[in-house]
Amino acid sequence: MRFDIQYRPAHSLAKVSLDPNESVVAESGAMVGMSTNIQMQTQSGGLMSGLKRMFGGESFFRNTFTAANGPGEVLLAHSLCGDMVVLDVPAAGYFIQSSSYIASTPNVSIETKVGGMKTFFAGEGVFVLDATASGPGQVLVGAFGGIQELVCDGSLVIDTGHLVAWDKSLTYQVGKSGSGWIASFLSGEGLVCHFQGQGRIWIQTRNPAAYGQEIGALLPPRSG
Amino acid sequence: MHYDILEKPDFSLVRVRFQAPGEQLLVESAAMVAKHSSVDMKTQMQGGLLGAAKRKLLGGESLFQNTFTASAAGEELWLAPGPEGDVEVVEMDGQTPIFLSSGAFLASAPTVQIDTKWGGAKGFFSGAGLFLLAAQGTGPLFFCAYGGIHAVDVGPAGYICDTSHIVGFTGGLEYQVTKVGGMKSLFFSGEGLVCRFQGQGRLWISTRNPSGLVSFLQPFRTVQSS
Repeated sequence: MRFDIQYRPAHSLAKVSLDPNESVVAESGAMVGMSTNIQMQTQSGGLMSGLKRMFGGESFFRNTFTAANGPGEVLLAHSLCGDMVVLDVPAAGYFIQSSSYIASTPNVSIETKVGGMKTFFAGEGVFVLDATASGPGQVLVGAFGGIQELVCDGSLVIDTGHLVAWDKSLTYQVGKSGSGWIASFLSGEGLVCHFQGQGRIWIQTRNPAAYGQEIGALLPPRSG
Repeated sequence: MHYDILEKPDFSLVRVRFQAPGEQLLVESAAMVAKHSSVDMKTQMQGGLLGAAKRKLLGGESLFQNTFTASAAGEELWLAPGPEGDVEVVEMDGQTPIFLSSGAFLASAPTVQIDTKWGGAKGFFSGAGLFLLAAQGTGPLFFCAYGGIHAVDVGPAGYICDTSHIVGFTGGLEYQVTKVGGMKSLFFSGEGLVCRFQGQGRLWISTRNPSGLVSFLQPFRTVQSS
């Protein structure tokens, strides 16, 4: 399987080239186009994991695309403007912010990790996916805006709305940005993620919730 | 006329340089960015009232279009679509027609005839608009999309495309609106309906579609208190 990302960064499109009988798993709604020999199967992975996933801010279902009778390709895209990157999943795995997930190789297991009540109330809740691979696997993540790779060497603080993915070797805690709750609220920074340890963190250069609040507020009110 | 497309793919801008006086370009309403002041602009309903109304109502284009006419060689005209995104140009050869989905038309030479084509019952669910614009003739045809424009050369094996991402396709391709996967997929896959293309030709796909942005922004609108 090969991921080829074109039209970077704003309108990126991932072309996934599949060998015969190879599969790629993708987020519901991400498919833009594909060869006619691709078979699509929709799976919820059981009711409970489906519900858990929906609770995680993702759609309930994921699709598996398989090339039957020869090679094939699938085109995948995010709905918002922004870049994509392919990450090789290390033995330790990644945590991925739920709305950044687009696709993965079939040997990558994606589990929803419920982020706790504190994040749930934040509005921009950090629901986190736990990605681990049995063998060499890849995951395709998409951002709103550009993607930057940051290195955490000791500790780092990141706005929850800008998180895309990070090494599981890092410990993290969601908390207030300032010294007190009032200061945190007034700073406009809201909730942040405190990282500790050594590892990489991928961030998106724009925050979808901040964009929505700023632009959505300019639109005429909707009824009810 | 000479032309090139700058700032591809995010904020494409068309620059046209006329080569002789009297050269013309037919442009979608409001798409002009700049021109030499000596380039003449005439606003008209192409194809008369009926033709224009049909195009407006059915093809998603504006009622009026502007014709720009050069008065001397070397004059320039710049064009851009409203939203951010890509512009593509095809030099029409007089043989192969091009079908554009609603709203994709940007400009064309006067030697290109633009007509609305009944998408038929097969276009009913396509979401890309019941109607397509059919362009036929010779000369440049400019079209645009929200997002990047990705060209796929469709061979005998055919190709499948999400209906809301179709920008246009050449004649020689037949399409059918179908579902992908089984019944479960129709309701739960999030993929909706797709167009299955068959034949030989080129298909243009947009890498984003504006409805994705609109449905993202919708919940952020304030709620009217009744």
